[in-house]
Amino acid sequence: MPRRSGAFVAARLSGFTIVICVLSGIAPAASALDFTAEEERRILRHGPWPPASWPDPSNRVSGKPAAIVFGRALFFDPRLSVSGAVSCATCHPPDKAWTDGLPRSRGQRIVDRNAPSLFNLRSNRWFGWDGAQDSLWAQNLRPLLDGREMGVGPGGAARLVRSDRELSCFYRRAFDVAPGADDTRIFVDLGKALAAFLETQITGRAPFDDFRDALARNDAAGRARYPTAAKRGLRLFVGRGNCAFCHFGPAFTNGEFADAGVPHFVEPGRVDPGRHGGIRKLRQSPYTLLGRFNDDPSRSTASKTRYVRLRQSNFGEFRVPGLRNVALTAPYMHAGSLETLADVAHHYSTIDEERLHAGGERILRRLDLSASEQADLVAFLETLTEKNPLPEVVEKTGNALCR
Amino acid sequence: MARWRPLGLALAAAIAPLLAAGQAAGCDRPQGWTGGAKIAGELWTVWWRSEPAAIPVGAHFSIRFHLCGPPVGRVGVRGWMPAHRHGMNYRPGVTLDGSSGTAEGLMFHMPGRWRLILDVRGAAGREKLTAETVLE
Repeated sequence: MPRRSGAFVAARLSGFTIVICVLSGIAPAASALDFTAEEERRILRHGPWPPASWPDPSNRVSGKPAAIVFGRALFFDPRLSVSGAVSCATCHPPDKAWTDGLPRSRGQRIVDRNAPSLFNLRSNRWFGWDGAQDSLWAQNLRPLLDGREMGVGPGGAARLVRSDRELSCFYRRAFDVAPGADDTRIFVDLGKALAAFLETQITGRAPFDDFRDALARNDAAGRARYPTAAKRGLRLFVGRGNCAFCHFGPAFTNGEFADAGVPHFVEPGRVDPGRHGGIRKLRQSPYTLLGRFNDDPSRSTASKTRYVRLRQSNFGEFRVPGLRNVALTAPYMHAGSLETLADVAHHYSTIDEERLHAGGERILRRLDLSASEQADLVAFLETLTEKNPLPEVVEKTGNALCR
Repeated sequence: MARWRPLGLALAAAIAPLLAAGQAAGCDRPQGWTGGAKIAGELWTVWWRSEPAAIPVGAHFSIRFHLCGPPVGRVGVRGWMPAHRHGMNYRPGVTLDGSSGTAEGLMFHMPGRWRLILDVRGAAGREKLTAETVLE
């Protein structure tokens, strides 16, 4: 029998208290649709949204309009693949919330993992399901290096930029210098221009944000507009479900890694090592915040890379994804093994604790949610998705200076 | 700043008369410090403070510390989440200058109860000085 967490015990005791009150004819202090002060504190820490943002000091063109234009052009350019047929947008189409809807994506070939959505990347601490990259610009280089994805490599990418009049012009306007002879320097700069573009993709406000802010200003009418089922699901999320331990803060992620109890066999006899492999790759990579391509001489954002710790329990851990716009980004988990949000709720409700590779950790527990509780949890998760249609992302903006 | 609860403080007070010479009686707050917290052990007493003063969930922070007691050889700093039975995902870098030092690169990556542990070693022995707090 697993030990129950303090939060779980508190929730059970709270339920017990309500039963006692009803039996004795005394009305409980909080109805099923009101939140306790403790629950309200936990809900409030998931906002406000959108968060403040600032340029990435490791990327000298972060936030620069000319680099955003260049990055947008690169994102849709299939010439950055060895076949000339695969662009970043192949696996991350913007009209599908920057993901492809496939369990495991197909670039040049099928890869081992699901294509994550590209929303809210600026606030990430680690990148990739295994966190093998410590910056967005380094993450953008990975598919260009991987032959299964795009695989153009530093030489091919640099030759393209130098030889194409428009890309060369975009580069010059973004970096204030013409593309030079150093292939690797150009290659890394492409990652930085792509990062400047992707940083601009921030999710809009969702129904949850309106409820959270109404709670903050004690606006009863605003609180009442939030669906009842979502309120019940939110109570589970911050309470008995313990979801908010990992899905913490305004972006609904603590930015770290967890074993979510899903299979990590890629195929018979081959496993995905997850975070364990990610840290090992990070330590071998020339493209980290500790290396020469970091534009911040003070290395002010490099603490994570300097002090990250490799542990056996990292095996089978994957990055905790943010949950904003989660209803648009199926299928779920690192290899797309769960098709719907209902499947996710069912998974955590029936998780097999014996399959976790947690090295003695006790975070995940089988939740044993009823069918209606699972539906409530899904109703809450759906309110993390913005109601307005996603803005259209055009492949190139008019830049007469480069035509 | 979060409220910190030193662990083992009552025990340390009870056995104080038995402590060996050189232990940390009368350990004052380091000069120039405002805030900070004190943990008293059998061999050493430590004053420590975090930067930033309010430890955030899921963001790096550092601590500065000053030890009173016998000469210090080495100090390790780590965090532990008792309810989940896991530590931090980062191994802090500790620099020691005599009996004062800093530890950088700490991160408490979840809300809940965390234990800060200073593992102090010297010729006089080894002692773990611990304090707990609940991060919201």
